[in-house]
Amino acid sequence: MTAMPERETTYVVVGGGQAAAWIARTLRAEGFAGRLVLIGEERHWPYERPALSKDFLQGTGSVEAITLLTPALAEEARIECWLGQRVVSVDREARIVTTADGRTVSYDTLFLATGGRARRLPGQDSLPADRVHTLRTLAESERLRGALAGAKRLLVLGGGWIGLEVAATARALGVGATVVEVAPRLCARTMPPVVSDWLHALHESHGVRVVSGVGVSGVAAMSDGVAVTLADGERLEADHLLLGIGIEPEVGLAAAMGLALDDGIVVDAQGRTSDPRVFAAGDVARHPNAFAGTSLRLESWANAQNQAIVAARAALGGAGVYADIPWFWSDQYGVNVQMLGLPGMGTRAVARGTPEAGSGCWLMLDESGIVTGAVAVNAARDLRVLRKLLEDGRAPLPDAWADTATPVQRLPSRPNIIMR
Amino acid sequence: MTEWPMTEWHDAAATDALDDDEVMALNIAGVPVALFRQEGGFFALHDLCSHGAARLSDGFVENGCVECPLHQGLIDIRSGAPCSAPITEPVRSYPVRVVGDRVEISLDR
Repeated sequence: MTAMPERETTYVVVGGGQAAAWIARTLRAEGFAGRLVLIGEERHWPYERPALSKDFLQGTGSVEAITLLTPALAEEARIECWLGQRVVSVDREARIVTTADGRTVSYDTLFLATGGRARRLPGQDSLPADRVHTLRTLAESERLRGALAGAKRLLVLGGGWIGLEVAATARALGVGATVVEVAPRLCARTMPPVVSDWLHALHESHGVRVVSGVGVSGVAAMSDGVAVTLADGERLEADHLLLGIGIEPEVGLAAAMGLALDDGIVVDAQGRTSDPRVFAAGDVARHPNAFAGTSLRLESWANAQNQAIVAARAALGGAGVYADIPWFWSDQYGVNVQMLGLPGMGTRAVARGTPEAGSGCWLMLDESGIVTGAVAVNAARDLRVLRKLLEDGRAPLPDAWADTATPVQRLPSRPNIIMR
Repeated sequence: MTEWPMTEWHDAAATDALDDDEVMALNIAGVPVALFRQEGGFFALHDLCSHGAARLSDGFVENGCVECPLHQGLIDIRSGAPCSAPITEPVRSYPVRVVGDRVEISLDR
């Protein structure tokens, strides 16, 4: 009688983006020696997304520059990558993952890094597909780049970061851009009014028309473009339409698996889902955030990387927790904007330098004087020093913050009570 | 007789221009260089992160590492070695010497 060969310990990563790549890379870097399978729906090797709305869209970036897991690296690290494969089911009892074309793999530990999908417009299918764009994937960025090459006018629905970055890139390419935001101001969900006002002025100074506080009542196809009717009756026409109206976390698989959900997959501070054999990280995961004093689902580059690293280490027995203060950045018109904490929760802004003129940092405080976050314009080092203070539970005295004669690391500080 | 190439040293800064854990941005013969002072010693790195092309001289210095201001990856100031994600490639380091009260940097290596 021949004994059945023992199955090699297998870790499976579902997803092919930044978080998935960092889970796989970290598992190997931390000494996982078993079988490692990464299953990504896109045909591209895992890549970072920030450039998709900036230099890659503009034609000055390359696929190589954003690829996180190359074929050579995957081979060297023995990461089996099943690309262009969609996972259709996970049997949590038997611990088997099945893809759309019938491939299966048994897992000991599973990671979900399924990210999100761009929100669509009701009735979008009735519009000419070649004129309507979303921007989430490399393929979509390439498609939009091709569209902008022959376009005179771009209409952007959504005044969030993606919409604004694409508008800035369109202007750099000589394409006219109009941004329509239903909220009264830009980036209203996460930014305070002072930042919205500055963004508004920045874009208008580069020739972008910004329409805020007005909804869309209709979208129609034209023979050579699209026409959007606003709630106030104005009709806007453009060669192409970009929808920058956010993403939905890709939780279909997790829902079918019966995992706990709450606008994303609920995870603990180590990325563990309600099933201890299943971890989740990146845009799809909602984690307890100590700085915010509540749970957050963050759609940021730093979150995708760092939460993924913590989850991979935790799966190998690591004790570290994901406790980063939220941080992300945007680049528009050559201006680097960095956001720390939850600046949108602040009601009072104290400027250091002159951020509205292109160099400085707004410190945001709530009504009780607690620092909720900050927004830096071409002032990354100030923000970094502030991050260190906030990580230590402290914050600079607001009046001192405005004093640029004193280096930021020497400003007097006080305790900053954790929010809520 | 073998003729060894002479190292060319470039005058960079006064030794008292930097305190410990401080960094200075320099341009030496068109090359961007970040000059660091650590525990009284001087170290020079190419002033460009090997990952995201941000200036390391704009970075935060702590525990012998500089943090890239764009993506928060850590680089060892003394060697240019990557210390944390997302940086995987080393940053070029340059020889430094102190002559009197001046710091000199060589771009030869």
